[in-house]
Amino acid sequence: MTAIGKPTFNQSLSAALAETRLRLLNISRYPGQLAMEIIIPIVFAAMPMLLGQATAGANAEANFQANTGTANYVAFLLIGSNVFTIVSHAFWIIAYWLRFEQETGTLEAVYLTPTSSATLIGGLAIYSAIRGLTASLLAYVIGCIIFQVNPFQGDVLLALVFILVGLIPLYGVAMLFGALVLKVKESNALVGLMQWVVSFLMGIFFPVAVLPPFVRAIALLFPPTWMVNGVRSALLGVGYFFETWYLDMAVLWAFLLFAPLFSFWVFHRVEQGVRRNEGMGEF
Amino acid sequence: MGDSMQGQVKIESLTKIYHTRQRRGLFKSTHKQVEALKDVSLEIRPGEIFGLLGPNGAGKTTLIKCLTTLLLPTRGEAWVNGYRLTKDDNLIRASTGCMLMGDRGLYWKLTGRENLAFFGALYHLSPADRRRRADEIIERLSLGDLADRSVETYSSGQKMKLAFAKALINDAPLLILDEPTNTLDLPSARELRAVVRALNQTGKTVIYTTHIMAEAETMCDRVAIIDRGEVLALGTVPELKASLGREEVIRFEGVISSQASQAVHNLPGVIRAAQTAVNGHTQLTVVVHDQRALLPRLIETLTAHDALVQKIVPEEVTLEDVFIARTGRTLAEDTRVK
Repeated sequence: MTAIGKPTFNQSLSAALAETRLRLLNISRYPGQLAMEIIIPIVFAAMPMLLGQATAGANAEANFQANTGTANYVAFLLIGSNVFTIVSHAFWIIAYWLRFEQETGTLEAVYLTPTSSATLIGGLAIYSAIRGLTASLLAYVIGCIIFQVNPFQGDVLLALVFILVGLIPLYGVAMLFGALVLKVKESNALVGLMQWVVSFLMGIFFPVAVLPPFVRAIALLFPPTWMVNGVRSALLGVGYFFETWYLDMAVLWAFLLFAPLFSFWVFHRVEQGVRRNEGMGEF
Repeated sequence: MGDSMQGQVKIESLTKIYHTRQRRGLFKSTHKQVEALKDVSLEIRPGEIFGLLGPNGAGKTTLIKCLTTLLLPTRGEAWVNGYRLTKDDNLIRASTGCMLMGDRGLYWKLTGRENLAFFGALYHLSPADRRRRADEIIERLSLGDLADRSVETYSSGQKMKLAFAKALINDAPLLILDEPTNTLDLPSARELRAVVRALNQTGKTVIYTTHIMAEAETMCDRVAIIDRGEVLALGTVPELKASLGREEVIRFEGVISSQASQAVHNLPGVIRAAQTAVNGHTQLTVVVHDQRALLPRLIETLTAHDALVQKIVPEEVTLEDVFIARTGRTLAEDTRVK
């Protein structure tokens, strides 16, 4: 019989990685998916890029430099759309996991096991990060090649650190979003709404400095805003919010310490509420 | 937890109330409370096959979902394998093997073996133990030919078999099987029941829910008859049958109107009469004290109400008769609160 008691760290890690493996196996059976995920952010960034060229013509670079701090609008927009791919994946995968598995009955099946929902979401987050990072890095490089800019300018390592540190609070926020999906039993409309709001707040096509002060204050409460600006500053030198990279990084670390714990607390409360009434499997 | 408590389940005054909304058109809805379990108390002994018998909507699945910690009870307490329901939910899940929702708990894009390995990991088995256990179960349930095919290619019976295999992955002392033979053909159902019996012989406790009375009669050491959230009767199959006392059962088959059934029900000496549709004709089950004395009057009453009786079968008391005697309804009826 299986060992009964509080699972060790290794057992929890093994369960989380099993969840990751399950998702990777599942997606491997849809081979066209990754190709589509690479195309989407390039097309997404190409639209404002071409609009900019159409409206500003030969002055596009100079105008962009004056307002954003970099003349490389191609990389600026590609970074925005690709960091958004990672963010969108985080929200989509956690919401989809809850909703789709509720409908197929597998959510109840995993809730029958002693593995906690936090561990399962940890495994999902690893999978989502692998999928999102792979798709966005490939899309960024391919997009840069298509639009003929150097993808690896500036401090590439620091840009990667901004993404990796930002991932943890991002999944914290995504878990909060998951709690909302569990509560209202709806994912498609919520994910759709969230994607537009998030893309606006994190400034995927513009610097958040141009937002009205009140909206900008809200945008700065959101970890992906700091992620995307950190990456742009490291690669293109657009300027950190606090002038230096380590202060911006410190803010991301603060999010990292707070967001997952708060989100888990909220998720757990919603989960208990659902178990008190209709149960996890009702949809 | 002592070993003596493994496989033991004790339920004390378990009550579950659902809060739902009753929709009235596009925008209106009213709040509604549904009492799915009403003060259920019972004890399941280690090493027995315990049947939960009742029609659809009786509360069997709600009770199972409470015992497996998927639902929190509104009131009451239970101990599963010696662990307290409202406190040790993780330990209960680790020490219980469950088959709920039939084949809905499987990942269809994965193979059978990959499903078993995944759930093994969620029960915290080491990678080597997952593989070994999956191999053992695949062999025991003769799933060898299917194990490396994706589940979406399985027939519904094969999916049920894999869902049963999943319940065995953690080798738990308590197996909870919710209508495990649903959608299985007869040979597969027989095979699954034989495996359940063999597992029970090794000391595992089995909670077996079903709405098929013949299955409960042949499988279970003790049975609880549950209806509308209440346990109506509890005991061994012979005890439950004996509880009808001198009552006897006669079945009439043919074309029998509900007025005819009602007229039979109103006859002096008739304890209960319940009507159900079977293979395009009506079956009327009548519970009486003395069938010999009453049979002529029963036929006379039915004929007077234009019933066309094709078959009259005096029968041995079954669990369904026990159910009818206590509720006035058959197991085929859906008693879900609308």
